[in-house]
Amino acid sequence: MHDTSAHELADRFKKGELSAVQIVEACLKRIALHEPKIGAFLKVLNERALRKAEELDKKRKGGKPLGKLAGVPVALKDNMHIKGEITSCGSKFLSNYKAPFDATVTRLLEEEDAILIGKTNMDEFAMGSSTENSAYHITKNPWDLKCTPGGSSGGAGAAVAAGFCPIALGSDTGGSIRQPASFCGVIGFKPTYGRVSRYGLVAFASSLDQIGPLTTNVQDATLVMEILGKHCEKDSTSLNLPWKPHKEDKKKLRIGVPKKFLEDLPDETRENFEDALKIFGAQVVDVDLDILKASIAIYYILSSAEASTNLARFDGVRYGMRSARATTLEEVYDFSKQEGFGPEVKQRILLGTYVLSSGYQDAYYKKAQRVRTLVIEQFRKAFEICDLVAMPTTPSPTFPLGSIADPVQMYLQDIYTICVNIAGLPAISVPSGFSKEKKPFGLQLIGPLLKDAEVLHAAHLFEQKANLKLSPQL
Amino acid sequence: MTDIRYEQWEPVIGLEIHIQLNTNSKLFAPSPNRFGDEPNTNISEVCTGQPGSLPVLNKEAVKKAVQFGCAVGARVAHFSKFDRKSYFYPDSPRNFQITQFDKPIVIGGTIACDVDGAIKHFQINRAHLEDDAGMLKHFTNFAGVDYNRAGVPLIEVVSEPCMHAPKEAVAYAMAVKAIAEYLDISDCNMEEGSLRIDANVSVRLKGEKELRTKVEIKNMNSFHNMEMAIEAEIRRQCRAYTLKEEIKKGTYRFDIDKKETILMREKEDADDYRYFPEPDLVPIVLTEAYIEEIKKSLPELPEERFKRYVTELHLPAYSANQLVIDKALCNFFEESLKICPNAKSLCNWLTVEFAGKLKDTDKTLTDFGGNIARLVNLIDNGTITGRIAKDVADEMILHPDKNPEQIVAENPDYRPMHDTSDIEPIIDQVLLENPASIADFRAGKTKAFGFLVGQVMKHSRGKASPSVVNDLLAKKLQ
Repeated sequence: MHDTSAHELADRFKKGELSAVQIVEACLKRIALHEPKIGAFLKVLNERALRKAEELDKKRKGGKPLGKLAGVPVALKDNMHIKGEITSCGSKFLSNYKAPFDATVTRLLEEEDAILIGKTNMDEFAMGSSTENSAYHITKNPWDLKCTPGGSSGGAGAAVAAGFCPIALGSDTGGSIRQPASFCGVIGFKPTYGRVSRYGLVAFASSLDQIGPLTTNVQDATLVMEILGKHCEKDSTSLNLPWKPHKEDKKKLRIGVPKKFLEDLPDETRENFEDALKIFGAQVVDVDLDILKASIAIYYILSSAEASTNLARFDGVRYGMRSARATTLEEVYDFSKQEGFGPEVKQRILLGTYVLSSGYQDAYYKKAQRVRTLVIEQFRKAFEICDLVAMPTTPSPTFPLGSIADPVQMYLQDIYTICVNIAGLPAISVPSGFSKEKKPFGLQLIGPLLKDAEVLHAAHLFEQKANLKLSPQL
Repeated sequence: MTDIRYEQWEPVIGLEIHIQLNTNSKLFAPSPNRFGDEPNTNISEVCTGQPGSLPVLNKEAVKKAVQFGCAVGARVAHFSKFDRKSYFYPDSPRNFQITQFDKPIVIGGTIACDVDGAIKHFQINRAHLEDDAGMLKHFTNFAGVDYNRAGVPLIEVVSEPCMHAPKEAVAYAMAVKAIAEYLDISDCNMEEGSLRIDANVSVRLKGEKELRTKVEIKNMNSFHNMEMAIEAEIRRQCRAYTLKEEIKKGTYRFDIDKKETILMREKEDADDYRYFPEPDLVPIVLTEAYIEEIKKSLPELPEERFKRYVTELHLPAYSANQLVIDKALCNFFEESLKICPNAKSLCNWLTVEFAGKLKDTDKTLTDFGGNIARLVNLIDNGTITGRIAKDVADEMILHPDKNPEQIVAENPDYRPMHDTSDIEPIIDQVLLENPASIADFRAGKTKAFGFLVGQVMKHSRGKASPSVVNDLLAKKLQ
């Protein structure tokens, strides 16, 4: 059952071929069997899932209408709130923090009768590209247990790749959905900024964060987006537009490729990328996106600036970690942060505080904002001559755990994904083959603002043409 | 001892007035905006800075800020935005305040107010929207935070450093308060903290162009304290400069008992609040039509009312200002005018007679409904004299449920003498007792006539009709 797609599971449940309890039990059994070697979850919600499954079975027997995700197990990254459950964000600071309310995505999923099966591991506060920054444990890549599943939604990528659940929600600030999807050989979609409500998502960098699905196939990702792509009054940046499904047209796709920007691609990645373009069979045009070389620099300025203030609330006063050593207010602040945050989080808070400081703000934060505008503008120009931009999702496939110690080398993992968040665009990572070492590659397709459905549709076309077998041997 | 010549120095004062807006809910959350409830009952995930919570702007607060902008003749920005202001304190739930840094909603504006009978104009620099902090409560062995106030909408009205005397600052602040009250955008209760004033004070030698170091005074919870605090700070600075001491940038509070400003903390460098645009909110974009609509729907404002009172009702500027500056009093005056057309006399009875008599009672003018207006009518139509009216007023205060007509009807002493036959004997007696005054009058001293009238009134215990007394006395002295 573990390689059954979400839409197929929902179908079979609705037809009565499978009960929700059967689905959840199979799911939990597979998790019990393989989770110890993967470490995808921070918490498996066994009881909650079984309770919901029983309710659903009753509901179906009673002939009541069932939601689009009826009976489908879904995992959430541990930075999204499920009321009453711990939201740790992969941080010690929030190890005791029970969410006081449901995230909008949680509510929308439950309204469609999805079964919340667990909270997945992540880099602390979503800061990282390997899930090694989790304060709890590392997560391994189901394709190669010595390698990382990517990050920061590494738990989500691993859970879907391992067949623990057909859908997991991740959050993507600079590639945190797409990079793990690519490393784990699954689909990862980052919607247009504002398409999915951020209410109940613990913020890392508010102007860049977006929630999106990781799935085994594009159709499931589209189904999830139809459910989550709604206006939310509790998020001021939520788009007040309905989800627009893709309209069929006969026009041949024009794919933009920023050749100069991609000139440093390693050979194997280049080969895979060029093969993928051939498989796609679309018309390829060269687009000028050289400005994207600046994207890593401006990303680390903007995201850290926002994070330094978003994380200021973690002070030990109201909730979360409060240092037992602290005896004064200053000590509550100092020791709680010292003990509660890991090194990467501290580094980003320091960086963010620095770039916002008076005397430095013009040179860093404000300049970065101006370059952000240039990135947006350059993408806009590119989309005048193409429908989608294609790039590899990452410079190389998954790397061994512990092999990248230098933070800047780690940051370079996101060179092709970060620019998308900076411009607020929709983008998807879709599996495009394997390296000689049998590690998955991902093709990234980037669309203009609000062309979410078009990106998904193109990915679906590619997926059909590539026709890859994507179940790792566990 | 060095002689301190205070008159050499020119004070420069600017005010920052925080006005809590009386919206139903908070600036960025649906929790109730209500004072005086049990701690931490009017809170939500936004007010307590829970992770995953997001601010959503209250449109009612925007409207009230725009009303204020229109009322002071400011430019209301078509585009304004919010910024994060970072500082750590337990009453700040996110450890940043959401405020407006470089794009405030209200730019400029002027406040006209009466200072010692002359109308002066003071410039507003800006007014911006921001959210209030919670409150720290100290107990014997711990401190707690009440977040009920966290997220209450504020407008901070920042003046130019354009005031040069404590009483100018008071007049300006009272005028701003009156405008907020007339617009009904705030309760403006200084004791409850819905109106809070910080003063920036510096002094310079008269004729100097540059501003010297300013200090900030906080915690002035009444206009009276504010005047004393600014006065004390001005004198402190004058003394310091004269004694060649340095004035350091800092925050002071006013000690009411010592009548001194006390240093709370020095500001060595400007605090670094690391302002940057709030990414969780979208900019406030207002159309000209929206602003025009608000402009059109403004109520009569204190300045307009003042002009109307002076030009149409012919009230003296001082009295007009006294009425206008106090919205409750002024509205009572307006209601009373519907009953009694004699504005001048009515104003006098409200602001002098009754205000004085009510000072040490628990009663307020509104307890009397239309009765004060009816009392003035009784004087004007000759039913009672002004002297009797004062006694009637005393009785009204004892029995606010009785109307003045009733009080007069019940007491024969309150009926004035109109009959010549009653008044004439009194006049005769007064003339007999005051031959010197008669001589003075005949010698051309008109004051003596007034004295004689007064004597007659006194002998009649205020009951004699003044017009009858005047006529009779004039005849007798011919």
